[in-house]
Amino acid sequence: MNKVLLLAQILTVASAIVVGFHPNILYASVFLLFTFCGVAVMFLYAGADFLAGAQVIIYVGGVTILILFAIMLTQWLYKIKLADIRNKMVLPGVLATIIGAFLYRALHQMVLSLPPQTPEALEKFSTTPKTALIGQALLGSYLLPFEAITILLLGAMVGAVWLARPE
Amino acid sequence: MVQSAQFAHSLEGWFGFLPLWGWAAISAFIVIYFLALPFGGLATYIERKIAADMQDRIGPNRVGPIGLFQFAADAIKMLSKEDFIPKGGDRFLFNLAPLFVVVGSCTAFAVLPLSKYLIGADVNIGVIFILAVTTLIAPGLLLGSWASENKWSLLGGLRAASQIVSYEIPVALSILPVVLISGSLQIGTIVEQQGWTVFGENPATYHFWNAFHNPFTFFSMFLLFVGGLAETNRIPFDLPEAESELVSGFNTEFSGMRFGLYALGEFCDVFVMSAMVTALFLGGWHIPFLDIEKLGFALPTGLVAFIQFHVFMIKTLLVVFVVMWLRWTLPRLRVDQLMGMCWKGLLPLAFFNVLGTALWMWAFKGQSLMQLLMGHG
Repeated sequence: MNKVLLLAQILTVASAIVVGFHPNILYASVFLLFTFCGVAVMFLYAGADFLAGAQVIIYVGGVTILILFAIMLTQWLYKIKLADIRNKMVLPGVLATIIGAFLYRALHQMVLSLPPQTPEALEKFSTTPKTALIGQALLGSYLLPFEAITILLLGAMVGAVWLARPE
Repeated sequence: MVQSAQFAHSLEGWFGFLPLWGWAAISAFIVIYFLALPFGGLATYIERKIAADMQDRIGPNRVGPIGLFQFAADAIKMLSKEDFIPKGGDRFLFNLAPLFVVVGSCTAFAVLPLSKYLIGADVNIGVIFILAVTTLIAPGLLLGSWASENKWSLLGGLRAASQIVSYEIPVALSILPVVLISGSLQIGTIVEQQGWTVFGENPATYHFWNAFHNPFTFFSMFLLFVGGLAETNRIPFDLPEAESELVSGFNTEFSGMRFGLYALGEFCDVFVMSAMVTALFLGGWHIPFLDIEKLGFALPTGLVAFIQFHVFMIKTLLVVFVVMWLRWTLPRLRVDQLMGMCWKGLLPLAFFNVLGTALWMWAFKGQSLMQLLMGHG
């Protein structure tokens, strides 16, 4: 197994554990950033080069910053400790377990349903550039979902502007 | 996937005896210690010299000939300073934050096309790669300011993060016309296509500098430059460290080498931004109207790489000079002016440029202004 990929996986899982269990929410969000970076490296090794770049730009440059902003500008959010909400963690825990089990089962079935691949075919797949293919797929066979999502995002944008207008 | 580390590959091809990752580590070492750090150091000296010239002073002139070793003296001073962390501050984040800034700006050097034969790694998502790794700078500024436990720091950090996040959008959109023209995100390819020679036949893909491809790309270049200025927190967009309002902004509490790392990261970021303008719009390593590889006789590859490296550096440093020149020319913007300029000024213009370039590509079948005028291609 590739050493860099192994390092990225260790980074992802270890930071995800810190995100889940660190008592300080600011530290949790900093380690969330490392998780995102680790996932980007894993994308890279799966042959999804464009997705890796987009992952870093959107999640590290956008989402993490947004979370950090929310924490820094909200007084009570920073003061909450894990111990204070321990008795309120049953329902979220149960929900998280159910969703996790569902996701695991779906992924497992998807992997099983794939035709078996030779190592050479996998190697070829992971070294072909994907950016142009993604573009052609989005503006070709998936044009309608793509346009639907752009309209959804436009609606979200207009809604955000409407909420934030001064009055 | 990535065409991993071409520079390392060629080193391995020439010398062997080390595994590829060894050469990759060595080339990263070379890039950081022989390009990023000396540039960051010398840039502080040159910035002070230019400032002095513009204000009719002499500037640093004591250490070495014409004060050339001033940056070494500064580095020694910084290293010998007290290693200070504020009492209420967050030790872990305080140590971590400057690293984000340095990693973010130094990693981008890996894909800068210094010459056709001298690119750290000509990855096929090069443009996206630069945009991606430089986003690491924003969390660095924000976390550093939080860990300082200082109101001015925090205000500066919040300003820096919001500014960088906002201006990322016009910057990305002003790069899009170039991607439309060249049909590639690979920086080596984008630069290669900007060649043009007056002797002999030009390949159909050659279309002179992207800045002069059509009127829209010409404006895109300025959008990229202005957006880059804002992303690197340079005057007139230096609100995050506005001295008159915030002492020194996000780096108020930082001293010694941690402050040095922030300053270094900032200068490296300015260089990366200028190199992006050069590579994407100003023809990168190409001498205008002359292709040194098609002179009729073959130059050795080493010499070609040497000449191209110098051409690229001259162009990039000219852009850096404009950045420093603006510092002593323009006053600082207000926060509302800054955000208004981004969302109401640059963003619609960037959209207009993308649409205009797309129309141009459709109307003239992708030919540049030069190709239309000269009838090549």
